[in-house]
Amino acid sequence: MSTCQFYNEVIHRYLDGEATKEETAAMYQHMSSCAACEQHLKELKKSIAFIQSSSHIEAPANLTACVMSQLPKQKKVSRFKR
Amino acid sequence: MDILTARLIRETKKGNEQAFAELVELYKDSVYQVIYRLVGHAQEAQDISQETFLRVYMNLDKYDLTKKFSTWLFRVATNAAIDRLRRRKPDIYLQDKIKGTDDLTYESQLTSSEDLPEQQVVKMEQQAWIQAEINQLPVKYRTIIVLKYLEDLSLKEISEIMDMPIATVKTRVHRGREALRKRMRHL
Repeated sequence: MSTCQFYNEVIHRYLDGEATKEETAAMYQHMSSCAACEQHLKELKKSIAFIQSSSHIEAPANLTACVMSQLPKQKKVSRFKR
Repeated sequence: MDILTARLIRETKKGNEQAFAELVELYKDSVYQVIYRLVGHAQEAQDISQETFLRVYMNLDKYDLTKKFSTWLFRVATNAAIDRLRRRKPDIYLQDKIKGTDDLTYESQLTSSEDLPEQQVVKMEQQAWIQAEINQLPVKYRTIIVLKYLEDLSLKEISEIMDMPIATVKTRVHRGREALRKRMRHL
């Protein structure tokens, strides 16, 4: 495995919050002399930020009413039996 | 599990439909959001959301009360969405015209058609663009990316929802991130 391949895995562990302090320090150390890996991390961070900039969506107002109108009726029947 | 959810589930099981309506109210936005992000289409998202809550209602007896309710709920929701995506052909694109209309596209239905200030139009376009990028991801990565980055769920919770080992979830997060990066690196 090349050094950059090795750090590619560290980068993903880092993004998952699972890289150790030592790994993170070594990763930044490597990046100080490797523009490609530095760029790689930058692009990944940018992609994540882009996806996360999507707004929250709310369900249509009538969703609950639609669900309730489709419920099977047997539960009500069992109440009459008692 | 929180007390309110537990109470609503207990009441629903006893046959109290009003309690189930409250349960739907409580979770409808997060269910709809996940499904919408997976299928990228408002009407389909509504259909699948309804289907999800109906399945939940019918299978409430199978729900394990010791597990977190939202985990189970998201599992039902993502399964329903993935089923639909598998059956769907041909693919619907946001720019396609809606049948029976002259010039309405699915994209135009994403947000309300009120007069919008220019800034809001730009924002709408950006939102449609983000959704289009999400839709370009292969489904197995898309689901994980949506749960992780839009719902902010932990890898462990995602592994429970998807019923797959955490190592598989990690691999898919990595590949999903790389797929997004490759498409967006030149922006």
